[in-house]
Amino acid sequence: MILSRLSWLTDRLIDLSVLLGAVGLLVALGTTTADVVGRAFGRPLYGARDVVSMAGVFVVFGGMAHAHRKGAHVAVDLLERHFSPGLNRVLTVAGHMLGAAVFLLIARQFWLQVDLARMLNMSTNLLYLPRAPFLMAMSALSAICALSMTLNALQLIFGHQKPEVTR
Amino acid sequence: MSPETVGFIGIGILLVLLAIRIPVAIAMFLVGLGGIAYLRNETAALSYLANDGFSLASSADLLVIPLFILMGNVATESGMSRKLYDAAYAWIGSWRGGLASATVVGSGGFAALSGSSVASALTMGRVSLGEMQRFGYSPRLSTGAVAAGGTLGILIPPSTGFVLYAILTQESIGRLFLAGVLPGLLLVVLFIATIMVMSTINPALGPSGPRTSWSDKGRATLGSLPLIGLVVLTIGGIYGGLFSPTEAAGVGALMAILYGLVTRTLSFTGLSKALSDSVSTTAVVMLILIAAHVFGPFLAFSRVPTLVGEFLTGLKVGVYGVLILILACYLILGCFLEGYAMLVLTMPIFFPVITSLGFDPIWFGVLAVVMLEMGLITPPVGMNVFIVKSVAPSVPLSDIFRGVAPFLLSMVVLVALLILFPQIALILPNTMLGVR
Repeated sequence: MILSRLSWLTDRLIDLSVLLGAVGLLVALGTTTADVVGRAFGRPLYGARDVVSMAGVFVVFGGMAHAHRKGAHVAVDLLERHFSPGLNRVLTVAGHMLGAAVFLLIARQFWLQVDLARMLNMSTNLLYLPRAPFLMAMSALSAICALSMTLNALQLIFGHQKPEVTR
Repeated sequence: MSPETVGFIGIGILLVLLAIRIPVAIAMFLVGLGGIAYLRNETAALSYLANDGFSLASSADLLVIPLFILMGNVATESGMSRKLYDAAYAWIGSWRGGLASATVVGSGGFAALSGSSVASALTMGRVSLGEMQRFGYSPRLSTGAVAAGGTLGILIPPSTGFVLYAILTQESIGRLFLAGVLPGLLLVVLFIATIMVMSTINPALGPSGPRTSWSDKGRATLGSLPLIGLVVLTIGGIYGGLFSPTEAAGVGALMAILYGLVTRTLSFTGLSKALSDSVSTTAVVMLILIAAHVFGPFLAFSRVPTLVGEFLTGLKVGVYGVLILILACYLILGCFLEGYAMLVLTMPIFFPVITSLGFDPIWFGVLAVVMLEMGLITPPVGMNVFIVKSVAPSVPLSDIFRGVAPFLLSMVVLVALLILFPQIALILPNTMLGVR
């Protein structure tokens, strides 16, 4: 019951992440094109590179959890056919847990950078977009990926899910 | 323990983690972080994670990857790629093995829109396999042509493989894109020649398709013009100095979306699928790249690349002997590793050797990407073969692997030609951007 509710919540968070990524991609696309068109008329878009750079943060980290849900993160399945189903299940759980640990570490490191970014007033070069909120977003998006991986591991342990076939 | 010993133990652990299906990027993070923490300290390891993670994710230049992937995904969703295949079909479909050749030409054209081989194989597989089955093509030839044609996606620019190589080696993306044009076209010709030879020796493999009238040819060509226009706009814009690669990708993606919306061939659902697929694919590629920026410094601290370099240059086989050894390593690794992972894992080791031997890094980039392409269709881990299998489930995997064998031979011929005549890769960048 708890796992199903958590699974529903995680799915909504992943949908939100990928939506942020898609919006980031559209922002990058629109800004880049506006800059090119403006430049053709002698009026390039001021700070376009700043906007595109920060949109990239959402494009890259917005898709992490979605890629995990689709089983798209690249793994080598060379020996999968030679392992027993039980061993495959154990290895899949181990992969999810190690992945969750790495993403939690990434989330923690970005979170620790937030204070530093605030203290040093770190921002983009032209528009002075502060770096701290973007680091917080990266931290949150990484944490969602870690949550999704942990949940998948728990679902496998408690028999709620079959191990997925890796790419 | 000496740093070199730690380095080799780290590589051993990485291979074990990969063998037990730990995702490539996660394995590289674990070994890289652990190795740097051991050889330096924990703070140094974690600083690579935070600093490189942010700088790579917020790199405006790297947005070229999702934007070109988006352009390819939109072209697929709006049916533009189908029209390109139809045009190639109208012109060369009546040749012996013509439908397979049309698939290769369609793949080459689609490759000029999308930097992804997997997208290329999937799109062309859906479009052409049914048609070839209808005309009695041998499943080996048809699936082999789709799987091999799909590999053109990472050789013909824009190419995600070249972008990754450029980031890893600090080379120019524009120069690499230019260097990929002629080898890409040459490979299209070699693939078509392979199909023609096979169909001539055994006509049952690829019977001639129906003849089309001149008006049909004209109509099909007209239908493919938007896609050709998009390729000319984006790639021509880069080479003409109008756009940077990222700008070209942005303009191209927007044009593809507008075309789809205006002609009502792109639905809102199709657009949102193209966007979410692009974001997801970008995350996969970028996670490997960020992991490579943690794993690379570990290798450098361990001095393994220096040791391997000294070993290779110390062999009495001459510079080309070393090059062939490196290419052989790629061929073997390509059988087991995913292409991008292979590139990021090996570049810190092989690139210093290549430059110290006096080889041109742009030329080597083209060779490395061709080797990466071969890895996409070599057994047992041939990503494109698995993609084709998902589109043609009735064809046994072993038949598809047999089908790609003649195309692998064409790729070996291309590698040999590139080694014998480096100008095939270098003439365009050197002519248009000047000799370095």
